[in-house]
Amino acid sequence: MNLTPIDWTIIVVYLAGCMTAGSWMRRFVHGVEDFAIAGREMDVNLGIASLAATELGLVTIMYTAQLGFTKGFAGATIGVIMAAAMFFVGRTGFIIGPLRAAGVMTIPELFERRFSKRVRWFAGLFVVLGGVLNMGIFLRLGGEFLVHATGLPPGYLEWTMTALLGAVLIYTVLGGMLSVLVTDYLQFIVMGLGIVLTSILVIGHLGWSEIVEGLSAGWAATEAGAAPERLKMAGHPFNPVHASWGYIAWQIIFQVAAVTTWQTNVARVLAAKDAHTAKRVYQRTAFYFVGRFALPGLWGAAAFVFFSKHGMPADVDSLTAMPTYLAMILPAGLIGIVIAAMLAAEMSTDSGYLLTWATVIYNDLIMPCVKRPLSAKARLFITRSLVLAIGVFLLFYGLWYQMPGNAWDYLAVTGNIYLASVFTLLVAGLYWPRANARGAMAALILGAIGPITFLVVNAGKEPANQISPEIAGFSSFALAFLGMWLGSLSKSVETKGQP
Amino acid sequence: MSNLLIWFWTAVIFASLAWYGFLLFYIAARGGKEIVQMTRVLRGRKEEEKFDK
Repeated sequence: MNLTPIDWTIIVVYLAGCMTAGSWMRRFVHGVEDFAIAGREMDVNLGIASLAATELGLVTIMYTAQLGFTKGFAGATIGVIMAAAMFFVGRTGFIIGPLRAAGVMTIPELFERRFSKRVRWFAGLFVVLGGVLNMGIFLRLGGEFLVHATGLPPGYLEWTMTALLGAVLIYTVLGGMLSVLVTDYLQFIVMGLGIVLTSILVIGHLGWSEIVEGLSAGWAATEAGAAPERLKMAGHPFNPVHASWGYIAWQIIFQVAAVTTWQTNVARVLAAKDAHTAKRVYQRTAFYFVGRFALPGLWGAAAFVFFSKHGMPADVDSLTAMPTYLAMILPAGLIGIVIAAMLAAEMSTDSGYLLTWATVIYNDLIMPCVKRPLSAKARLFITRSLVLAIGVFLLFYGLWYQMPGNAWDYLAVTGNIYLASVFTLLVAGLYWPRANARGAMAALILGAIGPITFLVVNAGKEPANQISPEIAGFSSFALAFLGMWLGSLSKSVETKGQP
Repeated sequence: MSNLLIWFWTAVIFASLAWYGFLLFYIAARGGKEIVQMTRVLRGRKEEEKFDK
């Protein structure tokens, strides 16, 4: 066990603070609008804290550190692309401007106004399917970090995950988005402190030039075929286009779609006071996303250099190398702050995601099927029950699911199940007057074929023969746009016009 | 080429570190004020609703 009483005190104080603040916000929830989008009262800086905290989870830290371990600094290229995409969208208001101005609670709600009720329902189904599947690995990866960093016996992983999710569920079910915003704010501060301190310590421990030289040496050994199996690099540690431009090109399209379509990002756009506030949140959060990849990537790269020099423990792989390394170098007191920071990262992401998917199920799958209007109390009860149900589902799904290949590729491809099709619907619905319901349905169906094929075909194949993530990704976007184009032009259906 | 890339990543990583450090204090101060403001507005709404009833 690596934790001292000081570390435990820090962790307990942090958890108590979060639970108190989160539960306290319950008193301000009077209806679904307060619960789901904080009564549209979110201002810029709270929006930055919430967006950054939600999108920087423990799962993010684990997979970006894995990228740092296997691809060196070049693993952070995705972060640079994401930041550029976010700044572009914030600057121009591309999609998010008209989306916020439409005054909807979710993206599929916009599709009913623009296309039809059926399109809304199917889009809602795709959003939930892609989102919940994507979230399925969060708990296991988070648990892996905690087990390796704290030295807890691996058998405690499931219990750790259950307790953590239970704590998140309590305040999310009670206060919804209002609790999420306040706890995200606290978590942003604790998480930022932990990330900054850990990064300084990692650089101080090995020295900057040794990290750079160690990565160069690792790549030279990999190219010469002299590197041990677990220390073979997957790509040049500094040059992101060394192996393929295809992956980079796919990431550019993927990230623009992600920042405009991913419901947890969009939830902050819709909770903002107005479109101008939403654009400012995006512009000011953009550079944060570089560090989201670069700083945990640095920890992963440092772990690679350290284990290359001192030998890698037998039960450690590219995913668990970073927490194992941190447990070795972090002193008492500081490890407590870092564990609290990582708990903050996990909790802020879980709460934001639980709320988002529950809101979509309520707003776009259940409400369109309800004939009689429900009371405000009943609607709030349904939304709260959905948050709880998704939490329970994730606990079981997250425990038994075995992640195929690289964690980041898995997340990207399951997210693609809806990103490609919903992005196509948004672009066409907002900017192409000829787009219609038939084209929208075709885009939804065709856009899902690529990612589903990836999951099904790759499940029974050796890694060398699997479909690459960029091929699956590109095909999804191409098929979705083709579906929208052909469907909309095949028959002149009367559309509902601009939202 | 490799040296240029090393300089690029060095700048990116240290700039990220500085930005995270800055935001930590900036958001702590500004975000806290916004939470207070938000709860005031929501409390005001609740009182308005009571008054309307």
